[in-house]
Amino acid sequence: MYSKRIYAAWFGIHFFLLTAVCFAGVFWLIAQGSTILPSAFDEYARKAEFVATWCLGKEAGGSNPLRRGIATYLHAAGIQAGYSFFAPNVPNQHRLTFELFYDDGRVEQQSPHVRSKAAALRLDSLLDKLADERYEAVREVLVKMLAFSVWRQHQDVKKLRATFASVNPPDINEFEQGKRETFQPMFTFDFSLRDEQKQ
Amino acid sequence: MLKLPGSQINAGVSLVQKWWQSFCGFLFPPETDTWLAALRIGLGLQVVIYALFLRSDWHYLFASSGKGLVGREVGEAITSFDSPLIPTLGWLVTIGRNFNISEEAVLSIAWICLLSAGCLLLLGLFCRPAAFVAWFVHLCAGESGGLLAYGADSFMTTALFYLLLSPLPDHYSFDHWVAKTKPRNPQALGFWRRVIQVQLCFVYFIGGLAKCLGNGWWDGSNLWRALIRPPFTVVPPDVLVRFKYALPVLGISICLLEVSYPVFIWMKKTRLIWLVCILAMHAAIGLLMGLYLFALVMIVMNIAAFGVISNTAPPQRAMETDAQ
Repeated sequence: MYSKRIYAAWFGIHFFLLTAVCFAGVFWLIAQGSTILPSAFDEYARKAEFVATWCLGKEAGGSNPLRRGIATYLHAAGIQAGYSFFAPNVPNQHRLTFELFYDDGRVEQQSPHVRSKAAALRLDSLLDKLADERYEAVREVLVKMLAFSVWRQHQDVKKLRATFASVNPPDINEFEQGKRETFQPMFTFDFSLRDEQKQ
Repeated sequence: MLKLPGSQINAGVSLVQKWWQSFCGFLFPPETDTWLAALRIGLGLQVVIYALFLRSDWHYLFASSGKGLVGREVGEAITSFDSPLIPTLGWLVTIGRNFNISEEAVLSIAWICLLSAGCLLLLGLFCRPAAFVAWFVHLCAGESGGLLAYGADSFMTTALFYLLLSPLPDHYSFDHWVAKTKPRNPQALGFWRRVIQVQLCFVYFIGGLAKCLGNGWWDGSNLWRALIRPPFTVVPPDVLVRFKYALPVLGISICLLEVSYPVFIWMKKTRLIWLVCILAMHAAIGLLMGLYLFALVMIVMNIAAFGVISNTAPPQRAMETDAQ
């Protein structure tokens, strides 16, 4: 009986946290205005998201032991993120292209690449995160790292220009009419061996 | 001060006791360990495939800055912002450094441990330690490469976490055959199966709800976008165009299938239909979008949770085992 109570308590806490994580994710989507719900819901969704994130201790200070304890548990159990994959809509794909400028005036184009298809899927996931405003703080660092990975294979390059673009696919009717994907540049970075600057 | 008559208090207490008993009945149904064997073998296969798929890029993805793709430090910094107690590959590298083991060697050892743990889980040898190693190394890799992670990783962590806590070994494992372990408490087996069942209900309900909130799932455009989106392009768009009228129907079906999963999967009459449809959906995701790992882990969890028919132990025998 005693052990059943412990199991039941764990069950309650575990699924309470999972509920908070899941609904924080759904309310965030609504608050962003990316759903079919009218914009009148945005404000309520923001408040509801605040309640859900408060339950997860995310409103406490970064060094708060309860917040850290909950975050550690959520990560250990793999339930730190909600389950709104490809929802509410399938996001645009993103592409990162590097222009390599050589000393002799040659210009080549390259993309960051990996060997296996499984890793290519992960690279794609990284590129999608780069477009997300929540990753803006680390965007430049990440592009610099990716540029460095390309530069290591082309060490005689003088300058590297990274262009990050959103790929807009045609809808099914446009595709039938012969239209193909279009690229919308989002940001560009110039890197040289000594310094780098954002354009 | 308000005084409640004794009979009302007794009625309240007995109501709470009744509720507690029915809740316990739901949480601790007696089960055999067949579902656990399915979960162990399925996750063993999943871990082996995960390790083999990433073999050629393992060092490149998880090496430190200047050696790998983006360097694991950024991912680890983001993770430590959440909590510095979350394990990462950086922990293992630091431990290795104390024993003069290079970063490259530590990463190789981690990969070998993961592959070995997967093989051991498949065979059912040293089930609990193997489940722990698989969960821990996968978690470290997932957190260090958090920026490179996608849905399959969190489902793998969750499934391995539940496997680790479940009453291993099952009687199909080598451990049972070699050590002749005692049969596990049927109610404990039932509890952990319930946890996975409820987890899946959350997954599909939230996934379905979020999809229902997007207009693209109602007119089929999201399915089109998902299927022509590199690197998921397995079916050429020219072929897909031929099925343009089926896409809205399929899109709506996916939304309804997922959002109603927590209702119809529990009903005996509809369980098989919902299970088959969900398994077919995941098989299609695996084959048509190339998301093999995601498809496999979801299929394994669904089969373990609702697919395996357990010969439940009679309640009296279950109680006796519990008392032992």
